[in-house]
Amino acid sequence: MKAPALSFSKAPVKFRMPTSANLVPIRLDIEIDGQRFKDAFTWNPSDPDSEVVVFSKRTVKDLKLPPAFITQIASSIQTQLAEFRSYEGQDMYSGEKIVPIKLDLRVNHTLIKDQFLWDMNNFESDPEEFARTFCKDLGIEDPEVGPAIAFAIREQLYEIATQSVASARESRISKKGRRGTEHATSSKSSGSALDLVKLFGYRSSVVRKRKDWDVYEPIVDHLSNEEVDALEAREVRTIR
Amino acid sequence: MELTQRDPSSKPLRPDEPELDLYTIPSQSSWFLWDEIHDTERTELRDFFDGSSFTRTPKVYREYRDFIINKYREEPTRWLTFTDVRKSLVGDISLLHKVFKFLEKWGLINFSANLGNNSNVSSRSSSLVVVEDEEDKARVKVEGTIPNAVRVGASPNSPKPISAPPIVGDSSGDAVESGFKLPPLASYSDVFGDLVKRKGLVCGNCGGNCDSGHYKYTKGEFIICINCFKNQNYGENRSMDEFKQIEHVENSSNQGAMWTEAETLLLLESVMKHGDDWELVAQNFQNKSKLDCIAKLIELPFGELMLGSSHRHGNFGGLNGNKNGANQIQLSSSELHESLKTEGQSHEQMNEKEQNGDAVDEGPPSKKQRITSLSDAGGSLMKQVALISTMVGPEITAAAAEAAVTALCDENSLPRETFDVAEDYISNGICSPTTSFEQERVLQDEDSKLKERSTQSEIQDTSLKRDDMPLTVRIRASIGTALGAAAARSKLLADQEDREIENLVAIIIETQMKKLHQKIKHFDDLELIMEKEYTEIEDLKDSLLAERIEVLQRAVNAGICRWRDHFAVKS
Repeated sequence: MKAPALSFSKAPVKFRMPTSANLVPIRLDIEIDGQRFKDAFTWNPSDPDSEVVVFSKRTVKDLKLPPAFITQIASSIQTQLAEFRSYEGQDMYSGEKIVPIKLDLRVNHTLIKDQFLWDMNNFESDPEEFARTFCKDLGIEDPEVGPAIAFAIREQLYEIATQSVASARESRISKKGRRGTEHATSSKSSGSALDLVKLFGYRSSVVRKRKDWDVYEPIVDHLSNEEVDALEAREVRTIR
Repeated sequence: MELTQRDPSSKPLRPDEPELDLYTIPSQSSWFLWDEIHDTERTELRDFFDGSSFTRTPKVYREYRDFIINKYREEPTRWLTFTDVRKSLVGDISLLHKVFKFLEKWGLINFSANLGNNSNVSSRSSSLVVVEDEEDKARVKVEGTIPNAVRVGASPNSPKPISAPPIVGDSSGDAVESGFKLPPLASYSDVFGDLVKRKGLVCGNCGGNCDSGHYKYTKGEFIICINCFKNQNYGENRSMDEFKQIEHVENSSNQGAMWTEAETLLLLESVMKHGDDWELVAQNFQNKSKLDCIAKLIELPFGELMLGSSHRHGNFGGLNGNKNGANQIQLSSSELHESLKTEGQSHEQMNEKEQNGDAVDEGPPSKKQRITSLSDAGGSLMKQVALISTMVGPEITAAAAEAAVTALCDENSLPRETFDVAEDYISNGICSPTTSFEQERVLQDEDSKLKERSTQSEIQDTSLKRDDMPLTVRIRASIGTALGAAAARSKLLADQEDREIENLVAIIIETQMKKLHQKIKHFDDLELIMEKEYTEIEDLKDSLLAERIEVLQRAVNAGICRWRDHFAVKS
């Protein structure tokens, strides 16, 4: 047994998705002439950019969308990819970082609420596999649910990763300025991360307290057609 | 004499054997042990063992593993899903999934569960049978005794095994403990007060008592009994090396304190100064505990005398305290420790001590100690009788003696005068008449010294005078006295108990009534609220109707016919 007080502090990690596959979550929401196209998928940033145009052409053709969408889709993907790449090569964070991931999404007739922890340093994690297990365990048959869950996870991870790039940069700057380093790092970087020492410290058990079980338990609801309609109507209203 | 046996409620029964649960796991997983992490686990789940993060340590892995397996074993026929488990475990979801898949792969979970489709089950079980038939290929390993500490249902003693301060840890003398806790004829508050101050060594695994010694977990407050240690039930996350054996007091006091001459002198000085305030005494020694000091003092040839002087004042209080059981709980802590220390001695020593006036130095607890010695069956009948009679109040003893004497007189047609002297003595309300017996003179003299020094000389006088009484008669008289006294005492206790029960029942009924009243009131309130809401809704309805009519009116006035047409078509 090792002493718990070993220092596990690591060198800062270069930016990437904290999952086994370094994929960029891409969300499209394009409206042209009253026609709206929404989609969400992941993209491998190391694919050649020529693929983007091929992909958008293909999509437009498959979905029989007006050709105006081609450029829109392609440029939207390009922008998001460029944003992702702008972070690459930068330091992300150092040390432990386990973050809570919250799911709250509706896919067709399935409503999912869930909460769990994700280790930002685990580069073997696989949201897709998690989603598959999730659907299997909970008996969800809708094939769209799994990818949606995986995408939601990736999106949140991406956001957290970008935020930590920003905070890492900030703390570096303030270190150079030799003022308020402690404050800056502690207030910024530990914002969403958990108090790991408390959770994994030697004294505490990793078995959660019974009263917290409900919080971390997935909730899946199957909605009726009417409920879906009502929800969609409300969504439309809020957008307007 | 059963009355004087130790009170069963004061002592949890020693578990004969830890309960055995049988589980079936596939033969290829026979490497699995609760208390160890096998190389298979190390290689397949390397994350936990490379020290890369303090969120992934072998300890964490053990907790994950034990929890998941226990969760499955709560209901082995159910298919445990990852989603069932993860809500109860803190940690990276991917890592948890990995552990879960690992356990599932090796059949440590979900092995005998049915997945819902029965074909699966039958194929499983049939293959199992086959496996058992041809023994060579594979044998199903049966695994027993899961560590209770990781039972998922929160059992009362699981979260924090016990808080065992060293004092308690050393008090493990065998039967003495119970004797200290309860006199056999305990009063209500004795019996129930005991629950509050209950201290004993409880095995963190099986919940049994660890009287004869235990093993202490070196990395926290956790002890297990010898049984569990032998069976390798160390509890979760603990391995054999981390346990330190703790025998009972003799050892610990020996190892705890090597006393130099100077220290002994210092001890004596501080005892003279502080009396029985052991906290203060122990403060003079950096490397010694209270217990050490006490033990040392007892070892000294004259230690008892010193203590006796500091305690004499408590003697009378002790006598009364016996009558009024509540007093026993108010024993000062120092007295508590003292009795502990005597308990630490072996039995022989203790008996000897008692006879030699151990009682003198102890005040109130002494009686309880003596009672304990009864259960040793070492003492003679007379001694036991004497002890019983000391447990009741003087008046009761007197009355009982009177009755016994009368009965004997009737029976044997002996002249009443024979007993006059004895009665004299009894009416003084001192102690049992047995004090007067020649053969018990030594012991009982000590006893009476304890009880009432002032009358000691008188006793001796009377005892001398009574030497001419027939021995058997005297024995019978004293036995009668003692039993009568005990009976009276128990009657009193029973009455008290009855009153207590009545009182409690009354309280319960009252509380229930209050609860009902509260509920009724609550419902009344609810009804009011409902009514209010109902009227509000009615109002709203009315106003909505009015609005609608108004809107329609306006529409008609404005002459929007197309809209109406449209509406009509649609509907």
